[in-house]
Amino acid sequence: MEVVWAVGQVGAAWLALVFGLIIVPSALGISLGISEAYMWVLVKTLEWATIRLQKGAKKPQPQMPRTPTANGIIERDETPMEKEISLLHRADFEFSHIFYFCRKGFEAIVEDEVTQRFSSEELLSWNLLTRTNVNFHYISLRLTVVWVIGVIVRYCFLLPLRFTLAAIGIMSMIVGTTAVGQLPNGRVKNYLSEVVHLTCSRILVRALSGTIRYHNKENRPQKGGICVANHTSPIDAIILTNDGCYAMVGQVHGGLMGIIQRATVKACPHVWFERSEIKDRHLVTKRLREHVADKSKLPILIFPEGTCINNTSVMMFKKGSFEIGGTIYPVAIKYDPQFGDAFWNSSKYNIVSYLLRIMTSWAIVCNVWYLPPMVRKEDEDAVQFANRVRSAIARQGGLTELPWDGGLKRAKVKDTFKEEQQKNYSKMLVRNGSVG
Amino acid sequence: MGVPRVPAPVTSLLALAVTSEQIEHLHRRFKQLSQDQLTIRKENFDSIPDLEFNPIRGKIVHAFFDKRNLRQESDGLADEINFEDFLTIMSYFRPIEMNMDEEQLDRFRKEKLKFLFHMYDSDHDGKITLQEYRNVVEELLSGNPHLEKESARSIADGAMMEAASICVGQMGPDQVYEGITFEDFLKMWQGIDIETKMHVRFLNVDTIAHCY
Repeated sequence: MEVVWAVGQVGAAWLALVFGLIIVPSALGISLGISEAYMWVLVKTLEWATIRLQKGAKKPQPQMPRTPTANGIIERDETPMEKEISLLHRADFEFSHIFYFCRKGFEAIVEDEVTQRFSSEELLSWNLLTRTNVNFHYISLRLTVVWVIGVIVRYCFLLPLRFTLAAIGIMSMIVGTTAVGQLPNGRVKNYLSEVVHLTCSRILVRALSGTIRYHNKENRPQKGGICVANHTSPIDAIILTNDGCYAMVGQVHGGLMGIIQRATVKACPHVWFERSEIKDRHLVTKRLREHVADKSKLPILIFPEGTCINNTSVMMFKKGSFEIGGTIYPVAIKYDPQFGDAFWNSSKYNIVSYLLRIMTSWAIVCNVWYLPPMVRKEDEDAVQFANRVRSAIARQGGLTELPWDGGLKRAKVKDTFKEEQQKNYSKMLVRNGSVG
Repeated sequence: MGVPRVPAPVTSLLALAVTSEQIEHLHRRFKQLSQDQLTIRKENFDSIPDLEFNPIRGKIVHAFFDKRNLRQESDGLADEINFEDFLTIMSYFRPIEMNMDEEQLDRFRKEKLKFLFHMYDSDHDGKITLQEYRNVVEELLSGNPHLEKESARSIADGAMMEAASICVGQMGPDQVYEGITFEDFLKMWQGIDIETKMHVRFLNVDTIAHCY
């Protein structure tokens, strides 16, 4: 009996601490500096670990070309097809062409640009998490001890804390938005709904130990606009709503997600589509267009890639979002993988194990850049506009641009795409006078 | 935390510039392609989007299973290959090293050309016939509706004639050029620098300290 009482006391004290140190500051939008202190300790530890790893590394290898980021493991020759084939040119059509394709084929087999983007980015130095320890071998006792301490801290202290916060955050979101939803439509309701959304977002960000730096806040999306961003994980939405209110767009889910969706839509005009409606593109575009036309409604948030990419590149943007019209506010999100990998590899992990991994990482550190608004030009079609926005986002976030479709995660290359490439090659042959 | 599981006999196959780090990379790639099985089959190469574009995709994949390339005594095609075989094929694309001497360079070059020769010689008889050459050209131009089969043929015939003139010199009216043997193949490529074109070079990825 006394044990239960003692546990109850501890539990109450724990909740009071959490409430006082985290929830209240979130509601008020101020920071007590605890996360900053935590990050400082973390950075120092990781620096120390890296230096120890370097000391323990084997003697230097023969000189080979270096790269600052691990964006690829082989050196790619970027000479365009034409130039390369003409260099080997001897007579009209020769064995030379086969070299080019042979090499390209081998490069693709060793490492292809697309599949690489659907697995987590490789780190240049170990960050004391077991899951990233692919390349690194046993170095020293001290490092192992630090790693063990890290495991204890992460699983026994941080995980329960984060879990509590997440539970509180989600609960208050549901309760808060349902309560606000009862009020009649008007300025008061909008204001309260914003407060509730912001507070819950802040609590959830703290639940992930998120450190987010926002740049160029003057370009923040305005009402009646469309906000587009690159997609790395489901957390992206929380990262963005931490700094402003958006109307979310998405499919209706079941379960806990469905409850949240139904609650929030009462307070704020989010756009949730039924599964059947999603198939009808015109319906989707029509509804979004209506929303955007109403200048008093919050900006909508869309992720045009359609799927999660591993944050080293930006893949093809689906043109649907760019056909709606209105002003586009691009946002670039870049996570720092050193502290925790935010990428959701949906073919490898389900949402629950993903959230568990996130909650047992060190922290989620990211930079968010608000880019100046863009509008579609007269002579541009939706696809060109989409590419223009994509380039801006890629350039700002330091990501590479790939013309590939994120759908390749699950499907094969479309035939139309293949034929383009083959046409290019044959056009070149005809031009060189090899044929006809 | 331990040494990754790479099979031991592999390291003996690859001398010179392939480091254990590169072997690890390739091992990971192998596991990705084989979906964590011990061997790869032809179907596993279907999952590479970049390869879809390649007109000679069939020949390249075929080359991986060609027993002549795998340095096996028998002939024909293997059904599946393990990591050791995978590395054997990869070794044909090693870049040249600074410290190679004449003899090594020559052997190196011959190996790469032999690999290419096997790609053309699909019936494994040691000669590239006109028909085999035509097959390759057709494949390279495949999928393009603008080029007809006739054009592909004329290209192949023209190239074959040139090959004949280089290798055999002036032919008499009743002489038939049977096909390009490996020696003729070597002759054709004399003087052309293929070693620098037919390789895949690995980048050096070291641990570096992050300072904030």
